[in-house]
Amino acid sequence: MGIVQRKDLSLAERLYLPEVVRGLSITFRKMFEKPMTRQYPEEPLPKTEVTRGQPRLVVKDDGNVACVSCGMCEAACPAYAITIDGGETERPIEREPVRFEIDMLRCILCGFCEEACPKDAIFMSDELELADSSRGALVYDLEMLKRPKAALQKRIDYVYRLNQRWRKSSSTS
Amino acid sequence: MEALLIAVAKVVVIFAGMVTIAGLMSLAERKVSAWMQYRHGPNRVGPFGILQPLADGLKFIFKEELVPEGANRLMFRLAPALAAMPAMLTMAVIPVGGTVVIAGREIPLSMTDIDIGVLFLLSMSGLSVYGVILGGWASNSKYSLLGGLRASAQMISYELTLILTILAVVLLSGSLDLRAIVAAQQHVGQWNIWYQPLAFVLFTITMFAETNRHPFDFAECEPELVGGFHTEYSSMRFALYFLGEYCAMTVLSCLAATLFLGGPSVPFWPAAPWYVGVLSLLAKAGFFLYLFLWVRWTLPRLRFDQLMRLGWKVFLPLALLNLLATGAVVAFTHGAQ
Repeated sequence: MGIVQRKDLSLAERLYLPEVVRGLSITFRKMFEKPMTRQYPEEPLPKTEVTRGQPRLVVKDDGNVACVSCGMCEAACPAYAITIDGGETERPIEREPVRFEIDMLRCILCGFCEEACPKDAIFMSDELELADSSRGALVYDLEMLKRPKAALQKRIDYVYRLNQRWRKSSSTS
Repeated sequence: MEALLIAVAKVVVIFAGMVTIAGLMSLAERKVSAWMQYRHGPNRVGPFGILQPLADGLKFIFKEELVPEGANRLMFRLAPALAAMPAMLTMAVIPVGGTVVIAGREIPLSMTDIDIGVLFLLSMSGLSVYGVILGGWASNSKYSLLGGLRASAQMISYELTLILTILAVVLLSGSLDLRAIVAAQQHVGQWNIWYQPLAFVLFTITMFAETNRHPFDFAECEPELVGGFHTEYSSMRFALYFLGEYCAMTVLSCLAATLFLGGPSVPFWPAAPWYVGVLSLLAKAGFFLYLFLWVRWTLPRLRFDQLMRLGWKVFLPLALLNLLATGAVVAFTHGAQ
């Protein structure tokens, strides 16, 4: 239990005017300080490899997507944002996605798909802007999700570095 | 004919100037508050947001106008005009500068030549209460009515102090004519602020109460009264109240500059050309206008009983004492004449 000690005001404080002037001087000084506001479209947000933006599919250097449409990300997605239809291909991996859609309005950018992927095919990019005039336009299909590997390289390296420590600890046990 | 043309030209210039200043004040209010809070303020419409008042005005005109059920329609529609008009009328008596010679004619830079300018000004400022209380009453809303009542009670009590402080200045210069008051303080040493510092402080504080501005803005005390007397207003009529408020601020700032800071006289440059005089008045009034915004974003609002106590128990006696002392000094120094 704290007891509030009433402070005796001095004459200057009870006159109020000196204190008013003191307050005014503070606000006047603050007027010339740099605004904290970020002018958003002109000054974009700082992005690092830790930025967990919208998920994107990796296109390998040979021009094919790394995805084999195993459905792990689809299962891991807590928001049911991912829909995959697999199909056959002549390539040695034999399977590739025919349809791969992420409903960006459902996606909560949690990164579970990135964690679940066994083929390093889906990564969280640093793309954050999401705006369109219809809901349908925000369901991204395969072509809209494709990104060259180089564009995602920083994130890929970061995820590898992050996963490194799990490998170490599991080898000791 | 020529005299009529000159009068019309003056009316147009003064009216346009008032509306422009009011518009700029609405922008300045948002800009200054933003700067004091580390923000940018409106900066999208035009360079530095300078066209924001225009955009606001357009928006207000195109908005739907609502009249609440059970409202007194005539009074409801009339009240905003009654609130804005006296403030603009008051500007008529404030001398904006000396005289100009254009095309061989001497034109005094004030809209009217009446020699009881102070009296006219006070009666007009008394009228502005009607707009507020009628708007509050005609809205048929308890918040509006309470806001209007508070505003009128406050404006009437602080008007006493305002008048008494002005009277002290009138006593010193011995005239009710604002031009004579200006003429009596051509040099910095003659400014009334040096002879009437107490009246100056009282006038400045009373100014805030008279225009219902922070920290005395009980008329639109948001936490208690939603929006005060203009709660039910929308569209251009709502804007008209604000136009009136900004005009009243402008007029009182000009008046403070005229009464205490020598009006359009330029410090240390008695032979300044007329446009420098006008700029000088604008700069002095600008300081007071800035003070309105500055105080608004610094001080918290008073309680209503504190406001009344301050007005009746502190300001009124102080103003009376000041008037008494001034009267005594004037009587003893000039009484022999």
